[in-house]
Amino acid sequence: MPEISASGAAAAKPAVVHADTTAKWFVVSAISYFFLVGIIAITIAAKFVWPELLGTVAPLSYGRLRPLHVNGMLFGWLLAADMGISYYIVPRLCGVKLWSEKLGMATAALWNIIILGAVVSLMAGWNQGLEYAELPLPLDVLVVIAWVMFGINIFATIATRRYQQMYVSLWYTMGTILWTAFVYITGNFATEFTTGVNQANLNWMYVHNAVGLIFTPVGLAIAYYFIPKSSETPLYSHKLSMIGFWSLSFVYVWTGAHHMLHGPISQWLQTIAITFSVMLLIPVWAVVYNFFATMKGQWHQLRDNVPLKFLMSGTVFYLLTCFQGPMHSLRSVNAIVSKTDWIPGHAHMAVLGAFSFFAIAGSYYIVPRMWNTKLYSDVLANWSFWMMILGGLGFFVTLWLGGFWQGWQWNNPSIPFIDTVVALKPIWLVRFCSGVLIFSGIVMFAYNVMATVIGRRSYVQ
Amino acid sequence: MFSKADNSAAWAVVLALVLFFIGGSITTVVPPLVDKSWGRPFSNQDPSKGPTGHLRPYTALELQGRGIYVREGCWYCHTQQTRTLVADTKRSGWRGVDSPISTPDEFVYDKPHMFGTKRTGPDLSRVGGKYDTQWHRTHFRNPRDLVPGSVMPPFPWIANNDAEFRALVAYIQTLGRAKDWRPDKDYEK
Ligand code: HEC
Repeated sequence: MPEISASGAAAAKPAVVHADTTAKWFVVSAISYFFLVGIIAITIAAKFVWPELLGTVAPLSYGRLRPLHVNGMLFGWLLAADMGISYYIVPRLCGVKLWSEKLGMATAALWNIIILGAVVSLMAGWNQGLEYAELPLPLDVLVVIAWVMFGINIFATIATRRYQQMYVSLWYTMGTILWTAFVYITGNFATEFTTGVNQANLNWMYVHNAVGLIFTPVGLAIAYYFIPKSSETPLYSHKLSMIGFWSLSFVYVWTGAHHMLHGPISQWLQTIAITFSVMLLIPVWAVVYNFFATMKGQWHQLRDNVPLKFLMSGTVFYLLTCFQGPMHSLRSVNAIVSKTDWIPGHAHMAVLGAFSFFAIAGSYYIVPRMWNTKLYSDVLANWSFWMMILGGLGFFVTLWLGGFWQGWQWNNPSIPFIDTVVALKPIWLVRFCSGVLIFSGIVMFAYNVMATVIGRRSYVQ
Repeated sequence: MFSKADNSAAWAVVLALVLFFIGGSITTVVPPLVDKSWGRPFSNQDPSKGPTGHLRPYTALELQGRGIYVREGCWYCHTQQTRTLVADTKRSGWRGVDSPISTPDEFVYDKPHMFGTKRTGPDLSRVGGKYDTQWHRTHFRNPRDLVPGSVMPPFPWIANNDAEFRALVAYIQTLGRAKDWRPDKDYEK
């Protein structure tokens, strides 16, 4: 790929100087939310262990904090970080400056207004009652505006590009912008005009594709850029990346109804969702094979390359979570794991283990470069990796075990429900402890980045 | 066709949208047109066709209660669907009578829908009529007073607010009542 071995291409032409103001603002605010929302995350994990905790304070009750955790992590941290990293990647892959830093700055400001608005309204209980679409309507409108601003900037940059051929990351970024627009409108506006099962169907189309057609493609755009970059190895196969991208764009959108398997939704729709869920293995394996093959002969680099550690363990989590997904959609497996604690285990592996790991890797890579300096501490970065991976594994694995066990018990109606609650208590305690580990990793990551930004030097190096 | 999209952003855009819209429209726009039961309220007078009964719209009080259910995020811990699994019909059932499964026509007045994804607490799709008002008051004040080991949070600001409490309970008592299945109708524990 000519663009990714950018040194060759750039040497021939006068180098472009990137301002990166927009990318900087997005990344810094995203990481701040990662930290703040992390506090909420461990609070709600603690509530499962001590249900009375903060029990008399309505805005801090479980039902108010949970949507704040989910929306805060998805939109405050992950999507903002992904956007920030895209503002960095896209101009470089196009060999030009970002189309408009001013527009980008305005987008960053608007995004922060949205997130602060979300905090206030969710804690006040102003909740629309649809998962991932909890934000009240005025905020939804602002999200659409911000997204259009983001889209204009990225597409205009691509339109003025100096390299004819577009690297995979650019397709994925464009795909993300287009699909997100429609997926978001379906989940947040079309649902206004429907009720009952019809509304639920649109809701699940949105929820599923928020992960599948928003976080997946932008996350993969990041991984496709940084895996070759940080290992200084060309991507293994262009063809394979095409198979991955085009099959993703066709297959993903069909699967929403698998959230209602065995439920009150048409059987034929369930069967379609199952069929396409299994077909998801195609785009996933194409991508993962490409990443692994790129790393062939380069694995030794993992030893002291922290971004690469995050990228490759993220890839493994991506493979696993996308193996679980199709398996859950089989009717027999679904009858056991659906609605249990297995599901948060699965969801966290996707959003934390895979896509947040990609975004963390990207942040570690671009922050020192944007500020023209070195990372504050490589040792601390390495620690943040180990905290997050240990905490993450503890979290995922205990919830799978616990969830499976729970589902098994539910399928035996002679066991009273409350016994299945009590049985899970040790699991929730381990989950809380794992959450604390993950959070300490987040603190190290955030501190490391902030120290780099304000120009502190570590003595260790 | 696909390699053209390598060099042309316009091609990439068109292709990505076309592929997306095929599945997008078949799975969202088509189903309600094909399956009329998604929009027709449940009504059946003929016992040979399954449970009898009829779904009525919510009253103003019940809607207020529903709003509280949404506001407090009860739906993050409770589902409202008795699935086509034997265990579900038994767990939603009562006094040895299995509950009927949930069907789309029981939910046409639900907005937002409250099907839920997670059962930290039991499914509530057939809980209407299971407990009386006093039980609910005690339960909202502190669930562990009634069910030791529960992890349901206390909701003192509801239990102590008479208007909100009555509305919420009115809503809970409607759950699963369109189908007339509960043997001795009400409030026995
Ligand atoms: C953190 C999760 C959680 C939240 C939030 C929650 N519940 Fe519960 N709920 C439970 C658990 C666990 C049980 C089972 C133990 C018990 O009865 O307390 C339960 C039981 C119930 C029951 C009794 C069901 C039965 O069949 O015995 C009702 C009714 C109920 N909850 C209503 C509500 C309402 C209304 C709200 C919102 C105001 C709510 N719950 C919020 C976890 C939760």
